[in-house]
Amino acid sequence: MPEIRVTPLGAGQDVGRSCILVSIAGKNVMLDCGMHMGFNDDRRFPDFSYITQNGRLTDFLDCVIISHFHLDHCGALPYFSEMVGYDGPIYMTHPTQAICPILLEDYRKIAVDKKGEANFFTSQMIKDCMKKVVAVHLHQTVQVDDELEIKAYYAGHVLGAAMFQIKVGSESVVYTGDYNMTPDRHLGAAWIDKCRPNLLITESTYATTIRDSKRCRERDFLKKVHETVERGGKVLIPVFALGRAQELCILLETFWERMNLKVPIYFSTGLTEKANHYYKLFIPWTNQKIRKTFVQRNMFEFKHIKAFDRAFADNPGPMVVFATPGMLHAGQSLQIFRKWAGNEKNMVIMPGYCVQGTVGHKILSGQRKLEMEGRQLEVKMQVEYMSFSAHADAKGIMQLVGQAEPESVLLVHGEAKKMEFLKQKIEQELRVNCYMPANGETVTLPTSPSIPVGISLGLLKREMAQGLLPEAKKPRLLHGTLIMKDSNFRLVSSEQALKELGLAEHQLRFTCRVHLHDTRKEQETALRVYSHLKSVLKDHCVQHLPDGSVTVESVLLQAAAPSEDPGTKVLLVSWTYQDEELGSFLTSLLKKGLPQAPS
Amino acid sequence: MDPECAQLLPALCAVLVDPRQPVADDTCLEKLLDWFKTVTEGESSVVLLQEHPCLVELLSHVLKVQDLSSGVLSFSLRLAGTFAAQENCFQYLQVRSTPSSPCRETPACLWPRRPVSSWCTSWLCPCEVEPRGSPACRGVTGPRVPRRSWITLKSPCAPRPPPSSPVFSSSDGSLWETVARALSCLGPTHMGPLALGILKLEHCPQALRTQAFQVLLQPLACVLKATVQAPGPPGLLDGTADDATTVDTLLASKSSCAGLLCRTLAHLEELQPLPQRPSPWPQASLLGATVTVLRLCDGSAAPASSVGGHLCGTLAGCVRVQRAALDFLGTLSQGTGPQELVTQALAVLLECLESPGSSPTVLKKAFQATLRWLLSSPKTPGCSDLGPLIPQFLRELFPVLQKRLCHPCWEVRDSALEFLTQLSRHWGGQADFRCALLASEVPQLALQLLQDPESYVRASAVTAMGQLSSQGLHAPTSPEHAEARQSLFLELLHILSVDSEGFPRRAVMQVFTEWLRDGHADAAQDTEQFVATVLQAASRDLDWEVRAQGLELALVFLGQTLGPPRTHCPYAVALPEVAPAQPLTEALRALCHVGLFDFAFCALFDCDRPVAQKSCDLLLFLRDKIASYSSLREARGSPNTASAEATLPRWRAGEQAQPPGDQEPEAVLAMLRSLDLEGLRSTLAESSDHVEKSPQSLLQDMLATGGFLQGDEADCY
Repeated sequence: MPEIRVTPLGAGQDVGRSCILVSIAGKNVMLDCGMHMGFNDDRRFPDFSYITQNGRLTDFLDCVIISHFHLDHCGALPYFSEMVGYDGPIYMTHPTQAICPILLEDYRKIAVDKKGEANFFTSQMIKDCMKKVVAVHLHQTVQVDDELEIKAYYAGHVLGAAMFQIKVGSESVVYTGDYNMTPDRHLGAAWIDKCRPNLLITESTYATTIRDSKRCRERDFLKKVHETVERGGKVLIPVFALGRAQELCILLETFWERMNLKVPIYFSTGLTEKANHYYKLFIPWTNQKIRKTFVQRNMFEFKHIKAFDRAFADNPGPMVVFATPGMLHAGQSLQIFRKWAGNEKNMVIMPGYCVQGTVGHKILSGQRKLEMEGRQLEVKMQVEYMSFSAHADAKGIMQLVGQAEPESVLLVHGEAKKMEFLKQKIEQELRVNCYMPANGETVTLPTSPSIPVGISLGLLKREMAQGLLPEAKKPRLLHGTLIMKDSNFRLVSSEQALKELGLAEHQLRFTCRVHLHDTRKEQETALRVYSHLKSVLKDHCVQHLPDGSVTVESVLLQAAAPSEDPGTKVLLVSWTYQDEELGSFLTSLLKKGLPQAPS
Repeated sequence: MDPECAQLLPALCAVLVDPRQPVADDTCLEKLLDWFKTVTEGESSVVLLQEHPCLVELLSHVLKVQDLSSGVLSFSLRLAGTFAAQENCFQYLQVRSTPSSPCRETPACLWPRRPVSSWCTSWLCPCEVEPRGSPACRGVTGPRVPRRSWITLKSPCAPRPPPSSPVFSSSDGSLWETVARALSCLGPTHMGPLALGILKLEHCPQALRTQAFQVLLQPLACVLKATVQAPGPPGLLDGTADDATTVDTLLASKSSCAGLLCRTLAHLEELQPLPQRPSPWPQASLLGATVTVLRLCDGSAAPASSVGGHLCGTLAGCVRVQRAALDFLGTLSQGTGPQELVTQALAVLLECLESPGSSPTVLKKAFQATLRWLLSSPKTPGCSDLGPLIPQFLRELFPVLQKRLCHPCWEVRDSALEFLTQLSRHWGGQADFRCALLASEVPQLALQLLQDPESYVRASAVTAMGQLSSQGLHAPTSPEHAEARQSLFLELLHILSVDSEGFPRRAVMQVFTEWLRDGHADAAQDTEQFVATVLQAASRDLDWEVRAQGLELALVFLGQTLGPPRTHCPYAVALPEVAPAQPLTEALRALCHVGLFDFAFCALFDCDRPVAQKSCDLLLFLRDKIASYSSLREARGSPNTASAEATLPRWRAGEQAQPPGDQEPEAVLAMLRSLDLEGLRSTLAESSDHVEKSPQSLLQDMLATGGFLQGDEADCY
């Protein structure tokens, strides 16, 4: 039985560490290879031992696909390819290929630097891993091998994010990765054609949320920043170097321009220049507005935003600083936070989620007394949380499902409770099956593969000749011979089949014995049968042959006398397969007996 | 359990059993469980429960509470399992009617859900001491159960088949007969792993081993047979008929053919280095078969039969098989064989490297395999040269390498540079190699790649040029290249100062450190000037790994100036100190002059931990070294100390204190003594987020969750 099997190793009823195994028509594909920020031990990576207990991963997996550069989607990749040992191809889009190693390198540096972690992947491993990457363009059908093909669709979310269609023969699966159905300031909205996959695997981060208008959130953000700098305070915005940072930069830049503000905005050094370089390089991946205007002015060349130097943190007066990393768990953002936390005029705005075990998590949960470097630090600055993460909300998810028209939907990358709600909504409103497996749990979907069959022109013409015109909505029975040749199926007339295959035709005849009570001689019985049939079957050609047998079309009737009982005659009836209907009718007719002859 | 945590525990337990209270995400519960596991390892679980009645309360409450989140329920059951792993605690819990029997007390509707299976997992923790093969354990521990358990015949344990296995349960004869039967009736997909498993066993009947090896060799034997032209060298399985299913699999489709060959090559690769591999090992035939596979892939093989013709079409350009074959070919270099084998292998590798159609991943593998064959090639005994075969090969190889250094894909340029570095590291001293390299344009091309647009390639070019230069190979010795030979140091220094990416700068620092260590001409000419220049550039770098590498270079310089680090072996005979090359004051003056102290003290307060750590180690070494000089031991309180100590805050603030060379050695020494370097070292040994990662912090965070997770709780990137 052909089937599609899906097993999440990560992102099954949770957010973080996306990694989903899909088996489709005998091909095995791994979708994303993310790490979990919340753990410091082996649990940060998916448990790859699930994939295969025996043999090498390279022999088992046909390919790995990475949807975008966020670490919860690609952070375990060097570990998987260089430490666990996967040697096959890894597919991602061009921007993801360019940005992925930067983030992996940054992640490695923080892990080794701040936490002193040994046994972590090295720079060399990141490089060796990136050498296995095959970059793909949007809407380009990439042949992984003779049977497996993949195709990327625009997903919004972050630069280079893509949804992937995985197709083997007539069976297909679409994996959305993370996506956003509403365009933002620098990216467009996700889009997919009506590809009617057997299964759509979609993220469900905001499965129950209908997000308020983005404009409101942006206004709120700008208001808070503006008020703080107006009263002479400093604003710290911890961000990850790529992604939301660019969105917020554009937002502030435009606002500063409009309001003619002079307060300095800084972006922490290092990654930023590189990030903006990539945004400029991959302009075709941004939204329409940026693409249109970039000839006059590149949106990523900021007039008001300058590179940050760590000495600036002590400067008097207001300023806004974007600093990495985003969860206040290390580096520059944490250093600045320490300096500014004691002043109630200042503000820190967390534009994203923070995992437990970070200072970001602590201040967001309202803790105001922190221990830092052996000293107590009282947080007096204002702490704000504003989510700017670009995920589709419940409406957006439904919209995408409607757009792709899948046979089934499978939810990943979300919380169990919320998934449950969305699952019901999808099943009720869209009438498609919906699944939400936990990590390590396998969903199996039977598929009915459609096999294309060619019909010979001759057969069609013959059918037409019978006078009935074909109707699109009415199925019609068509007789022919199915030929399998060179992995192709064709339906042809039996004559043509015989000719093509060089075979001779065999006649299949059915025979039957009918007992009649008749004391007369065989010839007379045959004559009686002849006249009886002649009278009943007016439209058929009934003949009495010289040898005494009777024919009706291809049906042959012969009378015989069994030696043991002179009062009984046996009629031997035989007919061809083509006259099966007539043959059956005649035998049943004769079994009823012959009419009494006028004596 | 420390008192701070003990104090927080009751409140946390109360939050956990209250379904109205929001609980932090599953990772917190996981980490909490980890902490309990550590605690129970250190102290008795019964005592723990007695001292913290809130825990028993939690365990007995969770099953009664309606609407409890599945996460908390799962956590509590696993916690109960953790405690119950100690027998007396199991009894203690039973008496207090905590969920000791999930089958009795857990509502039936919960069975298929996560909590119960997780309960079983932890409840069965004690089972883990049993052999891993115990099927009872595997059955409940969830999806880790190997589906094809009969393949897990792993050496060195004696074959002890799980009774639940369908193959073995049908057995009526001996185990070995069953295995032999399985081997003959399984499909090619499963046959290979089973055959490999059998061959890895130490005690196994010879007949079965022979059968298993035949199974493993079958696909390659087919390939050989299908392509052999005339009665040539012996095949792999001469005299036996081809296995029909193997042939079918090879012919069925491209992917089944590639799959079978890849698996076979991988199995043989795994088998080759093992001591229990079959003997005699058909080295020559395996090599012949691998070469044939590679030729089929690049289209240069000539088919001898219809099967061969089919294989030609199927395997042409098949990257997957090419990669697997190159891996195995590389492994085959470790076996011994006649010269012809080496020639054969090198010839096919050269073809592969030359072929315009080779993909970057294939080229990388080809470079790796070539390196293995070259470095393991037999040398003429008693002769330091590379033998008759290699020089000719190198003359053919370098033009190919030149081509690959100009490849449009950065991956290929990088792999070619890595290959060059490795080869010259091993053979830089061989006359034949030097001759062939210098006659080629490879060094010039590698030099040009210092300007490559891809930073990975620039870094590899730096490493390669550094290596070549160490061996005087970076430019031909003819007079017109004299300038090129001299300008490399400046060029690398330029990269260190201006390259926008970390990799090339890090590579430069590594090269410079090597140069200093090996007494490279550029470093030895005026060592102090060299060190001063490099440290100055490194100290300004934004990449902490460059700064850390700068300290490594400083340490080498220190060792050269003051003598190598002392061994700290307590049993070593205390030898009298070897007199340093120069008097201490002079040596210290030199260290001051190159700006080593400025760099090291600045680094001591670096915001990146490894830099501070390395600097701490360096200064401790220095202090240790100086302590052996009695003349300066009592220098404390000399007039310059005050000025040096005044610069300390500035170093702490990350500013360059003074222009290099301004420090007085005595002042530096005094400061060195005044710093609590040991204390600093132990502080630095802890991770920077050790406070946030502590159990106390975890409990605080979980308690504080209440006010926070109301809005967009399921957020992420």
